[in-house]
Amino acid sequence: MNRDLQKDKLRSRTQAISGFYHQKGRMPSFSEVAEITGLRSKNAVYKLINQLERLRVLKRDSKGRLIAQSIAFRVKILGTVEAGFPSPAEEELADSLSLDGLLIQNPSATFLLKVSGDSMSGAGILPGDMVLVDKGEVPKSGDIVIAEVDGEWTMKYLKKRAESVLLLPANPNYQPIRPKKELKIAGVVTAVVRKYR
Amino acid sequence: MESQPLTVSSWPQAILHLDADAFFASCEQAIHPELRQRPVITGKERGIVAAASYEAKAQGVKRGMSLYEVKKVCPDAVILPSDYETYSLFSVRMFEILRRFSPDVEEYSIDEAFVDLTGLRRSFHGPYGMIARKMQETIEAELGITVSVGVSLSKVLAKIGSKHNKPHGLTLIPGTDIHIYLNNLPVEKIWGIGPNTAAFLRKFDIITALQFAKKDEGFIRNHLSKPYLEIWHELNGRSVYAVTAVSKSSYQSISKTKTFTPPSGDKAFVFAQISKNLENACIKARRHKLAASRLIIFLRTHEYRDFGVEMRLSRPSAYPADLFEKLRDGFSRIFHPLCFYRQTGVVLAGLVPDNKIQYTLFDDISKIEKMVRIYDTIDRLSDKFGKYTVHHAASLPTKLQTQHEGERGDIPKRVTNLFRGENKRQRLGLPMFHIKV
Repeated sequence: MNRDLQKDKLRSRTQAISGFYHQKGRMPSFSEVAEITGLRSKNAVYKLINQLERLRVLKRDSKGRLIAQSIAFRVKILGTVEAGFPSPAEEELADSLSLDGLLIQNPSATFLLKVSGDSMSGAGILPGDMVLVDKGEVPKSGDIVIAEVDGEWTMKYLKKRAESVLLLPANPNYQPIRPKKELKIAGVVTAVVRKYR
Repeated sequence: MESQPLTVSSWPQAILHLDADAFFASCEQAIHPELRQRPVITGKERGIVAAASYEAKAQGVKRGMSLYEVKKVCPDAVILPSDYETYSLFSVRMFEILRRFSPDVEEYSIDEAFVDLTGLRRSFHGPYGMIARKMQETIEAELGITVSVGVSLSKVLAKIGSKHNKPHGLTLIPGTDIHIYLNNLPVEKIWGIGPNTAAFLRKFDIITALQFAKKDEGFIRNHLSKPYLEIWHELNGRSVYAVTAVSKSSYQSISKTKTFTPPSGDKAFVFAQISKNLENACIKARRHKLAASRLIIFLRTHEYRDFGVEMRLSRPSAYPADLFEKLRDGFSRIFHPLCFYRQTGVVLAGLVPDNKIQYTLFDDISKIEKMVRIYDTIDRLSDKFGKYTVHHAASLPTKLQTQHEGERGDIPKRVTNLFRGENKRQRLGLPMFHIKV
């Protein structure tokens, strides 16, 4: 019951912000959020904004001001079915994640790739596997990346050290690669999928 | 006179037009990174150039050129079969990215969009140019294709902007600068003005877009029709054509055509092709809950001569079983046994919502309802198992011959390189990189 109450609160606050956005054509400031949601402290607003940011309802820019995300479209977020009896199963399932949602963080920047080599077998990526490649992510050290090194394409661990960049295989039969001229990263591997039957 | 601005306000409203650069070829270069900076051409299955990358255009390849000619002017061109599935995925993603910036996105065609940016400067804390630049950068980073963008006060002007500097251009035309861009632009380059109107305008010494824009309203009203008056307003920075954000669900007509090689003179085969066109068009009409009140069919001979016939239906319908009689009737009127045909097509016209159908006095309602149930079931089977799980026997002979025999029969890599669980009709809705790693 407590959870439902919280959810209702979050929903009505989101609606208040959405209403403000559509009425005024801009996002509210922190103090305005406090005013329209009835929150009394800036800290409470901060927590609410954090929560909504995680749900991709809105975003903050570099200066901390709010930017509309899904709130800009008149789609009901956190939507549960309003008509009929609220079934307990429905309430619970409203928050469940699809396999797609789990594997794909950024749907408009994710590509498929069928693996042909075995240089990443130690990382559990085998020939014939499908990997999901995100072009929108910023590659970090330790990520598995799809990269073009001196004109050759490869999938390896990216290791950044102080000055140099190294591409490491996960198979003792392959040598680490140190880019001589050029390194272009096409995307970060975010998941591997293998279907057995 | 030439240096006098057409309007004094810079941004009473801001409309952006975005046009992908050599879209199909760019998509191919995005999923085949080894093809970047190389001349790439799509349209192998059609025998002509559907799209050419800028590298190919630089060597003299033009749209619509035959592939035989391409091999002469650009021997190192990479010629690929069209992969519409991938292009559509890129297109949908491109529009999704645009919607992150503004809810008012009009999907004008597969590779073109209009976006209303008016009022967004404050939520992005920057000028319109910065918003446009960000859109361009996001599309480039996430999709790996480049786009050209124009921002101005109206759709017509935004389109002039996006064409101004292609590829990868960004052109802003504020109200105070419109005259600069129109001064050197021939009048026939304006969106909506064709060669005939341009020739007509030349009789009044109107050569450039600026001369056209500077004419007074009386002249336009006296000599031209309403659409040109609208264009004239748009050129003067007064937006007439609104950006309509609704996705395309209202159709004027639905058409389905298919080309096959080699051309065929086999009546059963050609009829099967047109029957499949009809089934296809009806599936699309049913998906949009529409029904056709007119049926147009046409055949194209191997000498590119078209024969067509238009038929009025007694009751609007989107069920092939309803339309087959008319189809057969029209087909027998235009089919000549001594001709070879390379293309068939069906157009469903006079579309009305399928819940507003007026039955005629002689319709057997129970029979129609039975038919509706059958097609509902077929549509559900198709959803579950892929298109054409169940189809009419008349369409069967299409299997007599593959769609394109010989070299043109190449199919896109995405269709041959399947994952376990994918099949010929149903694949994951994500574009696929073709990189060997």
